[in-house]
Amino acid sequence: MSRKQTPLRPYFEKMSEIGKELRDGEVRRSQANVDLVREQEEIIAKEVLRVKNAGIPAEKIHQRGGMTIYDRLDYLVDEGTWSPLHTLYNPTDNEEGCTGVVDGLGKIEGKWAVIIGFDNKVMAGAWIAGQSENILMVTDLAKRLNIPLVWLTNCSGVKLMEQETVYAGRRSSGAPFYRHADLNHLGIPILNGIYGTNPAGGGYQGISPTILLAHDGANIAVGGAGIVGGMNPKGYIDEEAAQALIEGTKNFHGKAPGRVETHFDQTAYFREAHDTEQGVLDGIKDYMRMMPAYDPIMFRVAEPAEPSLNSEDLNMLLPANQKRPYDAVQILARLTDNSEFMEYRPDYGREVFTGIAKIDGFPVAFVGNQQGVFPGYPAYANGEYPGVGGKHYREGLIKQGEFVTLCGRDNLPIVWLQDTTGIDVGDLAEEAELLALGQSLVYSIEQTDLAMMCVVLRKGTAAAHYIMCGPQANNNNAFTLGTPLTEIYVMHGETAAAASYARRLVKESEAGNDLTPTLDKMNQMIQDYQDKSRPAYSAKKGFVDEIVSLTDLRKYIQAFAGANYQNPKSITPVHQMLLPRIIKG
Amino acid sequence: MPELLSPIAGNVWKILVAVGDKVEMDDELIILEALKMETPIFSEDNGTITEIKIKEGDAVNEGDLLIVVG
Repeated sequence: MSRKQTPLRPYFEKMSEIGKELRDGEVRRSQANVDLVREQEEIIAKEVLRVKNAGIPAEKIHQRGGMTIYDRLDYLVDEGTWSPLHTLYNPTDNEEGCTGVVDGLGKIEGKWAVIIGFDNKVMAGAWIAGQSENILMVTDLAKRLNIPLVWLTNCSGVKLMEQETVYAGRRSSGAPFYRHADLNHLGIPILNGIYGTNPAGGGYQGISPTILLAHDGANIAVGGAGIVGGMNPKGYIDEEAAQALIEGTKNFHGKAPGRVETHFDQTAYFREAHDTEQGVLDGIKDYMRMMPAYDPIMFRVAEPAEPSLNSEDLNMLLPANQKRPYDAVQILARLTDNSEFMEYRPDYGREVFTGIAKIDGFPVAFVGNQQGVFPGYPAYANGEYPGVGGKHYREGLIKQGEFVTLCGRDNLPIVWLQDTTGIDVGDLAEEAELLALGQSLVYSIEQTDLAMMCVVLRKGTAAAHYIMCGPQANNNNAFTLGTPLTEIYVMHGETAAAASYARRLVKESEAGNDLTPTLDKMNQMIQDYQDKSRPAYSAKKGFVDEIVSLTDLRKYIQAFAGANYQNPKSITPVHQMLLPRIIKG
Repeated sequence: MPELLSPIAGNVWKILVAVGDKVEMDDELIILEALKMETPIFSEDNGTITEIKIKEGDAVNEGDLLIVVG
């Protein structure tokens, strides 16, 4: 008789159950919180809708017999797997209201890919400001997760009226071509479905991936057919030149170069040419079936299972009132398989939790801030003040550094659940080496070659936002999510106003002057901090990669874990893992 | 008779009930303020508020009696 099992079964099959059901009274008193969460979700939903409706109406594309980027994604991506990223990203506040590309993680034919396409409703997929940075985040994501990048190219090239915002510079719109070369060099394939007219920059968007599949109406070329006609030896446009331009344009009947009859029939750059838009997408699906991917069984340590506690509870558990503490373990219990968790050093560094959980049966590490008050902690304070949840102290920093290092050794991807107000400050904190221990955690993260994702549940503040694998961890952080309750700023607005104006208040007070003008400035500053830290602003500026409902967090964690284990570059045999043994003792 | 004690040292920020009010388990009764945080105090049982030992603005220590639910 054959027998099969998952590895290290005694450790992983059944871990400690965490969290508990909410009592009726807890549900009752939390309804106001649910309303506040929904209020923020509605603000985000309106913003998302605005971005989806950017450019010309979808009906116009449909009337021409075409598909929008959203139609293409619907057709291409496996149902229920699309996990959009950067939806609201628009760091320079473009008049288009977006960066002209749509991207995210999704499965195609059962395999995870990073998927990005030009929004063909927005200036026919032009290069606009902020777009190259968006694309670089996407190529970084494919590199970090070692999964295919799928492009849906439909790029009219530079928005010529604003070329200075896209063309030149280290991270400008030419940089993605180098990133594509980098991915190819690393063995990460890029599949490219090509639509429409793609001259110049669009041509390189077309040519730079690994496999090119074209729609019959598509072209890719070094430049557009009419570009020479734009040359004007006078250096300015007068009536005569305008007339010549008018005549030239009227009489121009040339076709755009680099069409299918050139790059399929002649050069054979295009592997496939399809007479329907769907045909191109079917071609991508065919190639996705060829992409390298382990069967998940290879890395699973248990059967996949949903959390045993209801994820809807998250809207009750995470207080919208940022001054309210909560039980972080109750949050974690709604994210992990079977609401189980194997905690590392629970009695040490109690302001943070660290440990291993299962997501869809894959082992995944979690680190997060505990909340509340910790009397008698930290030890170095000698009872002068109690520890407060969300802050970092000596033991917690040491614990995180140890844990991350061991995760690196065991190849465990890490999910960071941030709700942090900072690292402890003052002479005692300096004597306790918190400055160095914070940077030591940064070093610990950097020296691993692990993929990590970060969720800013509520606050991402001060250096603590950096050291808990915030988006600044460029080589490890795959993506960062915000929630409807996220606030990201260097410090709270009131603290910042006090720091900025306290001395002036003293001066004005001593001089017997009216304090009102200074108070007005302070209150304006507090309001400004509020406005520029909220979820929609954080997403627009790229502080986070997406704002996600609390009930959707697990879906993104599943995408992260599944993508991480699809084709890992490094493997620790589960039976050789150290962390579970250390936890057991 | 359940007596609710302060879990931390802080100030009484808000009292949400009055003597004679009927309360249910998990109702929010008092909000303490300390260390820039609000710490809500919840009823641990169903009953009626029989005594309120503090007033808004009072400083309390860990373990101080706050409220009695009969």
